[in-house]
Amino acid sequence: MTGRLAGRPLRRREDDRILRGDTRYLDDIDPPGAAHVAFVRSPFAHARIGGVGVPDELDGVTVITAADLEGRARDLPVQGIEGGRVASEGHPVLARDEVRYSGQPVAAVLAESRALAEDAAELVEVDYEPLEPVLAAGDSEVALSEWRRVSGDVDGAFESAAHVVSASHALPRLAPVPMEPRGAIASYDETDDLLTVWVSAQDSHRQLAGLAAVLDRPEESIHVIVPDVGGAFGSKGVVSPETAVVAAAAMATGWTVKWAEDREENFIASYQGRGVEADVELALDGAGTMLALRARIRADLGGYLMPTTAIPGHTTAMLMCGVYDIQAADVEIMGMRTNKVPTGPYRGAGRPEAAYFVERTVDVAARELGIDPLELRRRNLIRDFPYETALGWTYDSGDYVRCLELAEELVKPERHSDDTRVVGTGFGMYVERAGGMFETAVAELLPEGRVLIRSGSSPHGQGHDTTFAQLAADRLGVGIEDVELRFGDSKEVPRGVGTFASRSVAMGGSAVVLAVDALKEKLRELKDPPPGIRASARFESDLVFSSGAYAAVVEIERSTGRLRVLRLVAVDDAGTIVNPLLAEGQVIGGTAQGLGQCLVEEAAYDEEGNPTFASFLGYSLLTAAEMPPVEAAFVESPSPLNPLGAKGIGEGGAIGTPAAVANAVADALGGRRVDPPFTEEKLWRALREAGP
Amino acid sequence: MKPAPFDYRAPASIDEALPLLVLDSAVLAGGQSLVPLLNLRLARPELVVDINGIAELDYIRAEDGALRIGAMTRQATLERSELVRERWPLLHKAVELVGHPQIRTRGTVGGSVAHADPAAELPVALTVLGARYRLRSPRGDRVLDGADLFRGPLYTAREPNELLVEIEVPEQPDGAGSGFAEHARTHGDFATAGAAAVVAPEGHTAIALLGAGPVPARAEAAERALVDGAEPREAAALAARDVEDEHRRALCAELARRAIEEAMA
Repeated sequence: MTGRLAGRPLRRREDDRILRGDTRYLDDIDPPGAAHVAFVRSPFAHARIGGVGVPDELDGVTVITAADLEGRARDLPVQGIEGGRVASEGHPVLARDEVRYSGQPVAAVLAESRALAEDAAELVEVDYEPLEPVLAAGDSEVALSEWRRVSGDVDGAFESAAHVVSASHALPRLAPVPMEPRGAIASYDETDDLLTVWVSAQDSHRQLAGLAAVLDRPEESIHVIVPDVGGAFGSKGVVSPETAVVAAAAMATGWTVKWAEDREENFIASYQGRGVEADVELALDGAGTMLALRARIRADLGGYLMPTTAIPGHTTAMLMCGVYDIQAADVEIMGMRTNKVPTGPYRGAGRPEAAYFVERTVDVAARELGIDPLELRRRNLIRDFPYETALGWTYDSGDYVRCLELAEELVKPERHSDDTRVVGTGFGMYVERAGGMFETAVAELLPEGRVLIRSGSSPHGQGHDTTFAQLAADRLGVGIEDVELRFGDSKEVPRGVGTFASRSVAMGGSAVVLAVDALKEKLRELKDPPPGIRASARFESDLVFSSGAYAAVVEIERSTGRLRVLRLVAVDDAGTIVNPLLAEGQVIGGTAQGLGQCLVEEAAYDEEGNPTFASFLGYSLLTAAEMPPVEAAFVESPSPLNPLGAKGIGEGGAIGTPAAVANAVADALGGRRVDPPFTEEKLWRALREAGP
Repeated sequence: MKPAPFDYRAPASIDEALPLLVLDSAVLAGGQSLVPLLNLRLARPELVVDINGIAELDYIRAEDGALRIGAMTRQATLERSELVRERWPLLHKAVELVGHPQIRTRGTVGGSVAHADPAAELPVALTVLGARYRLRSPRGDRVLDGADLFRGPLYTAREPNELLVEIEVPEQPDGAGSGFAEHARTHGDFATAGAAAVVAPEGHTAIALLGAGPVPARAEAAERALVDGAEPREAAALAARDVEDEHRRALCAELARRAIEEAMA
């Protein structure tokens, strides 16, 4: 992008404030006299509730159960998926007669402090009758979501194919682990019938819509304020059961009610990512041309549906042709009910799963056909855009060949072994949906030629304050310091969609540019424009499709099975880049999360369905010490669907990395299947089976 | 993650502290293990006795050739001690692997010993160095060696009315070399396996594994084999032979080999 500012690697101007601690996160808000909430949570993965007993001696403590919220709070709403069926099993805000996962909120205890609330929560007696838990999608008989699409002559292609390759893959559940856990504060003004909710969330819009639905109130009667947010990775998108309880409790009691969760609650009760397995079959002709694909995907969705639980699976299914020109496809995804916390969107949200399933299968095919994996990819890559896939999405633009060439050039593949170690190289390509729907912005002239932008899209770590200011300042011909941005307050910002699906620059940035253009138009018409004059814009577009090619070189130590990622190459095509420094930061952050998934992360449950990962003792995150050198490069194929030519870069690292590292591991192991995380024990056993 | 209610006292001296130590009291040193246990409500003492204000427990000095470490000495102080780095380098190597710098700044040497986590670095290194532990009670002092102090995971021979006051590390033989190797999922995470070794030219050898048993214990068969001329790899395999799981056995053997080779280098 050419501009004075856009396209330049400016540092985040919000960082000075954040690094100095001059921020206000949810738990920094301390309303005097607030009642603090601790939740009584189920210790069982599956149980019937006989009753909830509140001891009499709890002075100054209020306990709220599902019975108290009867008629005050509905179950969370559930979003449907296009072309599929989704059950109406929304998450109850508090458990009624059954709990379906360990950690499910059963009662809310309100006290003068969180410590006192926790003391009292221990004394609440819940009469549980434990039931047999279902802990794997394959063991479940209840589908919460179902989707299938058959396109082209799949059976014919498989019958006539020279080669049919099949491969099975499983990706464990992951905990999102934002640095700041979740939380909400609610207060209710009876005179104005106004409910005010501060909530640590990705945006105000979906919280507002969710609360309006759960509380059955008009949106105008709810004011949502999102303060500074310390990360989300998808986990603070939709309204949580706890936030809804806090809001309902504030209305029921008339008090200001605060819930700031601790790390343990965040681990056990925040919706998780992944938890998907797939059997994939690929039909190829004698020359290695991909003819058709079949996939049977099963997702472990947990005990209930959060509003967006079914969405990642649908995205996985729709992306199962990957970056390849495959004319026929038969893809089915079954989202099964299990006795675990629900899943939902987590960085990548269905796309890492698709990239993993497709790219691992392509490498299995290359090995079986005796074709170099890069050559097999080159023969089948989509080259002409726009391209409508067999499954029905239209990829707007891209240069998949260039991405792959660049990745190969940068990674310098290695493949060898000796007495102490084996080394292999793998590639993983991806295409991902980004953007879509609409976004809004309002531009307002301030005194002295300064401009205020109210953006419907709001940040929780992405850098909106810098990138959006770059775009607006260029358009206006003013300095970046003359542009002020405001986010996150539902009474201030125009109604928008929110920050997820790598959509902020393409959708929010485009809306900012359109609002600024509209303001300029108004200013042109006026001789002496008064401060306060405003122009708004709403930008709408179809999905845009970012893509990329990742490559990894890995080494596995024979004596221990320890995996070291020696180097990683990330080539992303996110269309036109507004700020290369921030884009690279997104790539590296996403890559670190993708590597965490490869090396250590797994939200595991024991045979009774109790989480074994409920603290950092049981759940590891990578540190800087584990990060290999990451070389990031960009290919820029502008999207024709927005004025910036932008796509999305927030998730590429989390999408491309697991596929590339998994293929490198399989390469080093001579093609053996190992599912992530690639622990030393799994790799040591695989190497022993493989022999010297 | 708020602790259950407890009483709190912060004595300024050992003499003030001792009468407070009773059955349901917990001693708060650096708090790197006790505070999480309190917050998780896994530890529910009636009284927390905070010994951070007891200055007389914070020292590192050499006396008659032996190293004396006050129980409240911060791990970071041990890490920065030139005396320790020069004459007991194994302790330096081990303490560097304890958690992260922030943890070592608060965490204490005595706390790590008294907590007795078999996956902790310092108890293993101290075991290999032949350390002795001074416990004080109103009735007087007793000094235990590692085999007598460490009784099981998170369990020592310390009586409720006793306070660990000093760790004494004997002088090491001339020309002794040392090695420490461990494996953790990520940098600074709890070690899943590890080994420490001291090897001296005159036949002195000490080897112990981290996380391989309920307490840090010397691998005597491996030590004898090494003295009798076995290769480090063979001795390491002996050190790990009782580890049940075959991958963990391989991991422990590999780490023991590295520690022994480092000690012999």
